[in-house]
Amino acid sequence: MSENIVILMIGVSTFLGALGLIALLWGVKTGQFDDQSKFIDAARYDGEEELRDAVMMQKKQEMQNKKMQKKKAQKKKEEEEKKKKNYMPAD
Amino acid sequence: MAEIACTHCNLTFDESVMITEKQNDKELNFCCKGCQGVYHLLESEGLDTFYDKLGNTTLQPASTQISADLEKFDLEGFKNKYIKSTEDGLSEIHLIIEGIHCSACVWLNEKVLHKTNGIIEASINYTNNKAKVVWDPEEVKLSQIIETIRSIGYNAYPYDPSLQEERANKTKKEYYSRILVAVFGSMNIMWIAIAHYAGYFTGMQQNFKDILNVAEFILATPVLFYSGWIFFRGAYYGFKNHIVNMDTLVASGALSAYIYSIYAMTTQHGEVYFDSVVMIITFVLVGKYLEVLSKKHAVDTLDSIMGSTPTEVTTVKNSIKSLVSVENIQVGDLIELKPGEKVVIDGQVTSGQGSFDESSLTGENEPVFKQNGDTVLSGSICLDSVIHYEASKDVSGSLLTSIVSLLEESITKKPHIEQLANTISGYFSNIILLIALLSFAGWYYWSGNFETALIIGISVIVIACPCALGLATPMATLVGISIAAKRGILFKEATFLETMAKSRLLALDKTGTITEGKPSVIKAEFYGDFDPALLLALVNTSNHPVSKGIARYLIQENDTLEPVHITAIKSIEAKGIEAEVDSKKLLGGNASLLQERGIKVDTVSENTLFLFAVDGTVAARFELTDTIREGAKEAISAIQKMGIKIVMLTGDHEQSALKVANAVGIQTIHAKLLPQEKSALIQDFQKKGEVVVMVGDGINDAIALAQSNIAIAMGQGADVAISVSDVVLLDERPQSILDAYTLSRRTFSAVKENLGFSLLYNVIAVPLAVAGFVNPLIAALSMSLSSLIVVGNSMRIKLLKFKDLSHE
Repeated sequence: MSENIVILMIGVSTFLGALGLIALLWGVKTGQFDDQSKFIDAARYDGEEELRDAVMMQKKQEMQNKKMQKKKAQKKKEEEEKKKKNYMPAD
Repeated sequence: MAEIACTHCNLTFDESVMITEKQNDKELNFCCKGCQGVYHLLESEGLDTFYDKLGNTTLQPASTQISADLEKFDLEGFKNKYIKSTEDGLSEIHLIIEGIHCSACVWLNEKVLHKTNGIIEASINYTNNKAKVVWDPEEVKLSQIIETIRSIGYNAYPYDPSLQEERANKTKKEYYSRILVAVFGSMNIMWIAIAHYAGYFTGMQQNFKDILNVAEFILATPVLFYSGWIFFRGAYYGFKNHIVNMDTLVASGALSAYIYSIYAMTTQHGEVYFDSVVMIITFVLVGKYLEVLSKKHAVDTLDSIMGSTPTEVTTVKNSIKSLVSVENIQVGDLIELKPGEKVVIDGQVTSGQGSFDESSLTGENEPVFKQNGDTVLSGSICLDSVIHYEASKDVSGSLLTSIVSLLEESITKKPHIEQLANTISGYFSNIILLIALLSFAGWYYWSGNFETALIIGISVIVIACPCALGLATPMATLVGISIAAKRGILFKEATFLETMAKSRLLALDKTGTITEGKPSVIKAEFYGDFDPALLLALVNTSNHPVSKGIARYLIQENDTLEPVHITAIKSIEAKGIEAEVDSKKLLGGNASLLQERGIKVDTVSENTLFLFAVDGTVAARFELTDTIREGAKEAISAIQKMGIKIVMLTGDHEQSALKVANAVGIQTIHAKLLPQEKSALIQDFQKKGEVVVMVGDGINDAIALAQSNIAIAMGQGADVAISVSDVVLLDERPQSILDAYTLSRRTFSAVKENLGFSLLYNVIAVPLAVAGFVNPLIAALSMSLSSLIVVGNSMRIKLLKFKDLSHE
């Protein structure tokens, strides 16, 4: 058995395990394990309708984001215009 | 007449009282307008699949909500307190949703909120019914959101999660992530280490050893620095305060073993100790996590005591009624109280008379009759009539507010009892660090070899293995609280078991703790053709504790009682109720009511009397009294036999206190105590060096409960009492107090055994390490073994047999 095989075996298995660990940590961090009852109960209401609902919520959020961006852009414009107005060419 | 179920809430009612309507050949039945409204709303929104999801679960009938208080949600003050603005100009609030019975309710609420315009995010926790709602304040107002929730038959009120709850959850999550990393690291290192151990005996080439060493090093590094960060932090704070604690030992042991292992790895001689490093961190971290897990939830119900009180009162000025916010009430204002309203401001009655429920102040459930000139105290509830009274204090000076502020104070003042393990681990860490240093110096002096001396020094710290010590307390107490929970005794925090085991003084509240806290029938006499169904219908119309006691008795004694429809119901202030059925006149109440109506009755009794007359002749006579809980006497004498002194604290007068005390065998009583006096008494006991356990159930006990070392609340008690308490007795049996004592003492002795064992282990293992007989295999084995023994010994608590007093 050469050393390379040992390195490969340990490396690959640890890497795969680490991927699982990272996924789990991500789950904990984003609050997916916060609600124990949801695991059991929410599964019953997981159908097509709920999927559409989720899409709707996402669209709402996107719209909101767009609106905010527009607003920010507008604000920026206004500020820039202000700056321009304040600018006085030297005569 | 048949009973049918309401189409919305599924509760069954008599057919005659149902609102029926026909819709596409389907017959719909509703118990009330509220349910009907909600049903049609859901149907028109296309949400009627809710009923399929609901199945047979019953809901609370939807009430037709008043929308008068909706405005308060848009007020500036409310906004500042509860609403958080996010960076994107959105608003965020946390709500507790009331009336959720099942997961279908959660579904419905989420669905309806999602459909509301302007709501960006709405998620409801299935476990605790708390919701987080994010919305765009330009599109929808909070009052509209609350209205939407109310329109489907639920109610929502805000809470402030930034308090301790959020913090507690955050710590829990943090620990959880750290443990995941630690467990992952140690599990993987263990299988690599097994190859290592095999290498000791069969011989292994250095190049393979190097591969294994590097793999272990890669795995151990995140465990030490990420998972073990908690110990480094603890050690740092300890160092800053000149205290050597467990964390110091763990951190220095793990770190020195880690550094030495890197040295051994790079120089290619000597053994690596990476497996010991991760094992120490993992074991002690698990012990710490168990402690965090069973930490008591913070007192966020203090908000709810103030939250449930009205924020506005009706004032009468020049015979014009107006709603005024309580903060604006001044001394001398005239306030109107309607039946069922809670008093928020102290004052004096100027007109009207009626009974008041003062149970939140005195603990007594018997209503108090008040008339012109009597004092009305905040926290009491007006039961049966409209009363005008003059404010004698403003809201901040009123009793209810001062109770809340006293409560907040007591919670922070609660004395802390040092845990045995903490005391021991301080000394232990000092001694071990000293021995390690001495053996390093000794070996260096005698052998002159720096490397060997260093290995020995490190091995002393590693083998001293704080694992067993770190697990000793949490493991035993965790087993303890799980057994307690199975018996209906909820310990909110594991450490309370140890504190309770050290207690020698038990303070008991009288009403609701030793006694049932509600009047029950002890004697009943019937005359002529008494129809219990008539009486049941009559008493069911009243919320008076005596009526409820009678109703309970009637339902218990008679198997089936046909509901009777009675009309012209009228309650007579503080005296009784009157009604009609099929031209028969029903009258129920106390003796003076019947005498007023010219009915002759036997009034001789030392208990509360309730009489029932049909058309002017007495049909039944009941004597009621607050009965002592079953098994109270036996439990109290058994607790006394354990060497615990029992005192009784009550707001009731001396005579009735003595009666109860004699009946159950308590020698020391303190009667006529106000809530703050109870707490002062507890403080006195504590000044004398007592560890006080207090059992209570009411708001009047809350301050004393918060002050005592261990507070035990009855499961049916007031919310505030339960939230400030450390232990809750779900089944309310007095024997549970005895069980709690027995169990806490057993658990504490297990803690002592565990600590004793881990010390004994060290007495054997440390000299071996000093002598230089330790290698990584022995370190790993002894660590696992000692931890297993501690776990096993803790499991023995499960064998504890509880005395069953009811069969003696």
